[in-house]
Amino acid sequence: MITRFLTDVRIKFNPFSIRSKPARIFLSLIPPNARASGLVVATQMLPRTSKEPATLGLKFKDGKEMNLEISKMRITDIMEEVDRHSRQLARKEELAGN
Amino acid sequence: MPPRIPLRPRALRLHAPHPSCTPLGATYASLATATTPAPPIDQTIRSVPPVLRYPPSQPPSHKPPEVRKTQLHRQYQSLLKSSPLILLFQHNNIKAVELMGIRRELALALRKLDNERVSNGQEDLYADQIRLQIIQTGIFASSLRVVEFFDPEGDVLDHAQHPTDPATPTSAQIPQTTNSPDDKRFTHGLSRRAWQAASNRKLKTELDPLLSGPLAIVAFPAVSPQYLKIVLSILAPSKEFPAPKRKVNPDYHEPAVQAGLQKLMFLGARVEGKVFDSDGAKWVGGIEGGIDGLRAQLVHALQGVGANLAGALEGAGRSLWVTVESRRMDMEEKEGGGKKEEESV
Repeated sequence: MITRFLTDVRIKFNPFSIRSKPARIFLSLIPPNARASGLVVATQMLPRTSKEPATLGLKFKDGKEMNLEISKMRITDIMEEVDRHSRQLARKEELAGN
Repeated sequence: MPPRIPLRPRALRLHAPHPSCTPLGATYASLATATTPAPPIDQTIRSVPPVLRYPPSQPPSHKPPEVRKTQLHRQYQSLLKSSPLILLFQHNNIKAVELMGIRRELALALRKLDNERVSNGQEDLYADQIRLQIIQTGIFASSLRVVEFFDPEGDVLDHAQHPTDPATPTSAQIPQTTNSPDDKRFTHGLSRRAWQAASNRKLKTELDPLLSGPLAIVAFPAVSPQYLKIVLSILAPSKEFPAPKRKVNPDYHEPAVQAGLQKLMFLGARVEGKVFDSDGAKWVGGIEGGIDGLRAQLVHALQGVGANLAGALEGAGRSLWVTVESRRMDMEEKEGGGKKEEESV
């Protein structure tokens, strides 16, 4: 997963729900140095009894925001969604010659 | 000239006596020994003591016992059985330096609490036994299933005669199990029966949804809210359990430690077989004075109840006593009066 174009990750899930597995895997995919290089990760844990679905909010460096309902997605789908925009940004950056 | 040493051709010849000319002295029928002696009389009337076919500490296991997986499985089982309080964390790509920092801070805080307890004259010091341990999630989940669902009834030693029984041929208690993992009588957690019990997918544990992804645990040898409070304030600071202040503990606020703590997520706890979420764990940590405090509260409450009950019962008894006593006095008076009257007559 391409994380270098992300600036902000907001994630909310109930750890006791099986549907929150992709949320937890997404958190474990963020590289160890990402937080040090300016990525803000905010995790909110819901109480055990809550039925609220897991959500993921992303902000990219170009200002695009993305809100995903991740309780019905697989981790590969989430990565695909995130990477689709990240790849565009990567191409732009490459063409700009940086 | 003939040789000096006289040659004796018969002595040079290879000695191979003819079977017909063996000396008679070698075959006495009375000296012949039987190859299998008769069994001692004891063995014919009692059964032979069983023989242990495997080292006592290594009963045959379902999976090969020499691999790391199996040993981790055994280790996690004993951890789950011996620790009533386990906290579960998810660790997201924590670096070795950060993990080292977190462990150092945890150990220091716990040791400080230990010293406090020593100065208060309290026993039960657990600082050396509480530590952050990264686990293999799948193996941990499997061993949890064994601990929850494998309940071996009966003991392998049930058949054995009591060692003080004079009929017992040996005082060694030896389980009557064979050397094959198929044996149904094994009760250890790595046995085939345990594996079968744990692989029943219809049974679900409460902790199942938590057991995925990279996990770390903190296991406590006893449910001690005081220690739980310290661990939560270090690893998962919140309003109820604030982290140590920068002035008190500047090492805790080092960037390495803080970066590590950001990547550590508190998921839930297993307290005496029950599963709590983070709020539940905080509630357990908030019990004042630990188990002793709870006991004191209970004793206080019961004492109040007892005093009331005693008062109520005593009241009834007292009133009865008063009635009976007054009646007795009354009768005595009458009797006394009668006697006096008789004397006067």
